[in-house]
Amino acid sequence: MSDYKSNSGGSRHYVSKPKFCQFCADKNLVIDYKNVDLMTRFINETGKIRPRRQTGTCAKHQREVAKAIKNARHIALIPFEGDIYYDQNS
Amino acid sequence: MHTYELIYILQADLDEATLNGLTETVENLIKTANGEILKVDRWGKRRLAYPIRKLTEGYYVLVSFKLDPSEVANLRRTFGYNEQILRSIIVRTL
Repeated sequence: MSDYKSNSGGSRHYVSKPKFCQFCADKNLVIDYKNVDLMTRFINETGKIRPRRQTGTCAKHQREVAKAIKNARHIALIPFEGDIYYDQNS
Repeated sequence: MHTYELIYILQADLDEATLNGLTETVENLIKTANGEILKVDRWGKRRLAYPIRKLTEGYYVLVSFKLDPSEVANLRRTFGYNEQILRSIIVRTL
């Protein structure tokens, strides 16, 4: 029961986390800043980079993801802040 | 020689001839620096995730090329001089 207690306390919102790093599990999945759909999976609705405790990525891949997101922001593929806008034409 | 990838955003309100001219100048920049162009991919008009210089749309072009590392800083600088290029990014790829 003590295990449950440690989870129930605290102010952080609980998000169920995958138990493995998806980039380690699937070698074909490359972290690419041009892949907008993949990058949006790693930002939250305010545009922030989601932490490892939510996405389950390992430390090595989280660093690569963070870098890729920053690249994608620079060329205006994903926003610095706010929700992503989906274009109907493309 | 390393392989690089370049994405640049042009103003979307330019006409076809100016766009072609600009893409050609960029390619010539790489070629004159003894680079080798591997692939040019025009993504075309895209909505920007946030406005740049009060513009909401941009014309994206992706270029993969081979270039000597010493020339890359030079290339980056030249992009700043061109008013029609809103943003650019050069990333080394494998």
